[in-house]
Amino acid sequence: MEPSTISIKGLSKRFGKNLVLRDVELQIPAGCVYALLGENGAGKTTLIRTIMGYVKPNSGSISVLGISPQNDPFALRRRVGYVSDLPALYDWMSVKQIAWFCSAFYSSSYSENFGRWATQFDLPQETRIRHLSKGMRAKTALALVLASDPELLVFDEPTSGLDPLVRKEFLRSMVDLAAQGKTVLLSSHQVQEVERVADHVAILHDGKIALDGGLEQLKDTVCMLRFSMRDPLATPPASVLNLNSFHCEVLGRTIQMAVRHLSPEVLEQIKSESELMDVQWIRPSLEELFILCTRQSQAPPWEKPWNTKSPGGELLRA
Amino acid sequence: MFLKIDPNNGIPIYDQIVRQVKYAVAEGTLTPGQLVPSVRELARLITVNPNTIQRAYQQLQDDQVLESIRGRGLAVCRTAVKQCVQDRHDLLRGRLEQVVQEGLRSGLEPEQLKSLFEKILKQAAKTEEM
Repeated sequence: MEPSTISIKGLSKRFGKNLVLRDVELQIPAGCVYALLGENGAGKTTLIRTIMGYVKPNSGSISVLGISPQNDPFALRRRVGYVSDLPALYDWMSVKQIAWFCSAFYSSSYSENFGRWATQFDLPQETRIRHLSKGMRAKTALALVLASDPELLVFDEPTSGLDPLVRKEFLRSMVDLAAQGKTVLLSSHQVQEVERVADHVAILHDGKIALDGGLEQLKDTVCMLRFSMRDPLATPPASVLNLNSFHCEVLGRTIQMAVRHLSPEVLEQIKSESELMDVQWIRPSLEELFILCTRQSQAPPWEKPWNTKSPGGELLRA
Repeated sequence: MFLKIDPNNGIPIYDQIVRQVKYAVAEGTLTPGQLVPSVRELARLITVNPNTIQRAYQQLQDDQVLESIRGRGLAVCRTAVKQCVQDRHDLLRGRLEQVVQEGLRSGLEPEQLKSLFEKILKQAAKTEEM
């Protein structure tokens, strides 16, 4: 097991009465591209700002590159690059001036590095930030961060509101950083983008981690099973009852279940059951997994009301 | 070599890379002895996670399509073309199987399916000649 770059245990954060993060546990291994997926308001930004030391948690512990963000935020920010969705840049400075301003915080190679990135991103050095387009501003923020050659990069919704070309530039730099062995953490709700560039994902729903793990493992171990019951009121066969399912949806006599570790033998058994019709199974895409985690699970019709075991309530880890 | 990756088509991304490299070898777009881009280059080129590329290249090495040339990178094996043509036929066979199964499920008789297939084949051969 590689050492974790970010290690979060039992993290909770409350804003007034509003519990935004509930008991979050997260291990982010070194050298991976880790994507935090979640709807708007799921708690992604709060989690990222807590990791960066901008928000103090109510309970739990965080370690980032072995540093505690609460106790030593300055040491942390020297080694971590952070690109927020709305980068705060002094808008009266020109691109060149803001690079000069930032260079004071980092090593002597900063200005030279920035120059390289500015050329690659076609940044107009003499233009004031205030006169830059949104895409150019985002690229300026990215170049400022990349120039410090950080060990860990944290992006909060990096590509939202950007055109496809700038977006591609952002994704390319993430992939390239990963190829150099750096760790990248990004939050997003662009599932397709995440599927390309990330190798680990966590799905955050309602302040909780609903699902996390290696992207390939998640897709390999979870399967969606769909079947119709000949008699919608009957109890299904044991092969169905014993499934390790964590999400269920009912549409008339058709039932769709998300199942972990479905073996080929059990699948064959289910296909051969006479009470079931039209048995289908698919490996879900990340998008389907995402929707699954953010949607309420229904109790299957055979589960009596007093049997209150909630199939959606437990955590899934691959 | 141009690769087109679609994260949504149900085939894992690493497998899409493996298939497309094999197709390129079978087609002759990639020739034996030719070097393929490094993991980092290809990751940049198609904006896909480098570990995914690494996994695809590993698979291609295991399938003896690519071989490592010390100090230079990965190149297409001398013997790969035959293998890739064969793999391509196997993939095609799999897709045909799916179509046939769907046809049978939809209630077509084997004879009907057969005549449908022959008709399409005839048409395709005609357009090929033109």
